[in-house]
Amino acid sequence: MSGLLARRILLVVPLLAVILLFTFLLVRISGSDPVGLLAGPTATTEEIALVRASLALDQPIWVQFGVYFGKVLQGDLGNSWLSNRPVLAEILDRAPATIELMFWGVLIGAGLGIPVGLRAAFRPDGGFDQVTRFLSLLGFSVPTYWLGLIMLFVFFYLLGWAPPGMGRIDLFLTPPDRITGSYLIDGLLAADWEAAGSAFGQLVLPVLCVAIICAAPIIKQTRAIALEVLASDYIRYARAQGLPDRQVRAMALRNSMTPVVTFIGTEITGLVGTTSLIEYVFAWGGLGQYGLSAIIAGDFAVVQGYVLVLALFSVLVFLAVDVFVMLTEPRAGVAP
Amino acid sequence: MTLLSVEDLHTHFISRDLDNQIRTARALNGVSFTLDAGRILGLVGETGAGKSLTATSIMGLLRPPARVVGGRAMFEGQDLLAMPDAQVNTLRGRDISLVVQSPKSSLDPLSRIGDQLIRIHRAHRKVSERAARDRAVEMLASLGIPDPARRMAAWPHELSGGMAQRVLIALALMNAPRLLIADEPTTGLDVTVQAQILDLLRDLVRRTGIGAMIITHDLGVVAHYCDEMAVMYAGAIVESGPVRQVFANPSHPYTANLIGATPERLQLGGPRSVGGPPPNLFRLPEGCAYRDRCPQAGADCAQPPPDVALGAGHIVRCHRVAA
Repeated sequence: MSGLLARRILLVVPLLAVILLFTFLLVRISGSDPVGLLAGPTATTEEIALVRASLALDQPIWVQFGVYFGKVLQGDLGNSWLSNRPVLAEILDRAPATIELMFWGVLIGAGLGIPVGLRAAFRPDGGFDQVTRFLSLLGFSVPTYWLGLIMLFVFFYLLGWAPPGMGRIDLFLTPPDRITGSYLIDGLLAADWEAAGSAFGQLVLPVLCVAIICAAPIIKQTRAIALEVLASDYIRYARAQGLPDRQVRAMALRNSMTPVVTFIGTEITGLVGTTSLIEYVFAWGGLGQYGLSAIIAGDFAVVQGYVLVLALFSVLVFLAVDVFVMLTEPRAGVAP
Repeated sequence: MTLLSVEDLHTHFISRDLDNQIRTARALNGVSFTLDAGRILGLVGETGAGKSLTATSIMGLLRPPARVVGGRAMFEGQDLLAMPDAQVNTLRGRDISLVVQSPKSSLDPLSRIGDQLIRIHRAHRKVSERAARDRAVEMLASLGIPDPARRMAAWPHELSGGMAQRVLIALALMNAPRLLIADEPTTGLDVTVQAQILDLLRDLVRRTGIGAMIITHDLGVVAHYCDEMAVMYAGAIVESGPVRQVFANPSHPYTANLIGATPERLQLGGPRSVGGPPPNLFRLPEGCAYRDRCPQAGADCAQPPPDVALGAGHIVRCHRVAA
């Protein structure tokens, strides 16, 4: 029973080992030699050899992997060549910004997409279905960065309702002391209403962008899943037994939840890329923007750390989805 | 006492084809029969004859493009087809219950069977959770399910096919309906389980005096378990009457062919029936729909055949009998 659950959670360990191997190979395969870069253009052959030995790059490749593996386990992801700071510290600095953006975006996107998809499925081809199907298609087709720019153009430049897309808080305000890392929540906790208000204002547009991009496929998938459930034998039998409409809908909702949550899980992992672009447009300063800049600048330690964090994130999301399914789905054999 | 009386029921599938022309499939063409309380009626016919459609039409469970276009279905003096849907919905599952042929997929996969039994009871009767639970356990026990109190906690996927069918029957009987419609209740079950389920249904009708309609294509089931039978062909009843009478004296050529086509009869070396496809419901032939397949067809069969009473409720719709 809970053995299945424990086994699923333990599966994360070998998965992480394989991910580490891939992030390690990512840099080795790229063929660039960091030693020359590190030692500088004036270095002598002896100095280069010294640097090479200090980085264990003169060892066989599996020893190198061992060294990398050990360092990662100690939390050492190397230093950024641009800032010369530890990559892990930089990632931890920026992670809250991205988590904040994705959290609200996905929450609103799913909170909007699921009920809309269900309602559309209850009356397929009705007016509501037609309108939302069009909107969902629109949300699907719009390029992410374009949506962000248009939002800024309309709500900041034309209407003046939103602040400029320049970071997470007004430039002239000091961010509240770090508790959770979210300026909005930290501001509220510290009773710094001005900071919290500014953080909220800055959040609205980028969160809206993520929510729209996130909701569009959720509407479509939820509608399709619910339609299939509504056509199932058990829903038809529930109707044949005169179960009140409200209860039939509740039954359809519960039976749609497993596939919908699974879909949202896969969507979230893909949404990381979308969020990176939105962070860029709004100068958000989160992980996505950090990773994109690092790729452009060829800052390999950062890219490696960024990929590792993304992979870890996906592993955790899939784990959460699997645990949810196991606990809610009697056929999985875990539920008591 | 007449429990259910279906009169001249017509159901059509109305759709548009690729050229946007309206196409009408005349799936039920004047189905009439009556069912008395305490009796079991067997509805037989080949696939597509309209057996299940008759049941779903009566119960108001048709979905577009199917539509009832004429006729009445009088249940205890009320016309089910003229009632608003909300009212039919309160009758469904309470006074008229349905047992379907795919029990495992017809149970809600995310609810324990006990909870499903309680849910259907409380949807129609104002009873406490406690009382509903007691009744559910009692019902499972009366259907021969061992250790019913423990079985209440079982999930649908844990049940065997026969067990699931019993649970489905328990669901149908939770509210003590007066009419039970069983649509191929034993398809997909092995023979011993089939017999158990049908014995159970028969005992139930004898004990409680409810009316039951069994939809099947198995003439053996009809011969063993039913009091009355009605043979359907192309959306109409071509012969009906007491089971013994119809089997002893099958008067419609189709009925005779159907009975002649059972494996037992074929082994006896009886006359082979004339096969052929069922008629196209979009273009039913004028007159008798069986005309094209009938070995005795003649010129007069282009006229609508009359209903001929042969006595003791035995009715045949055929020109040959009339002559």
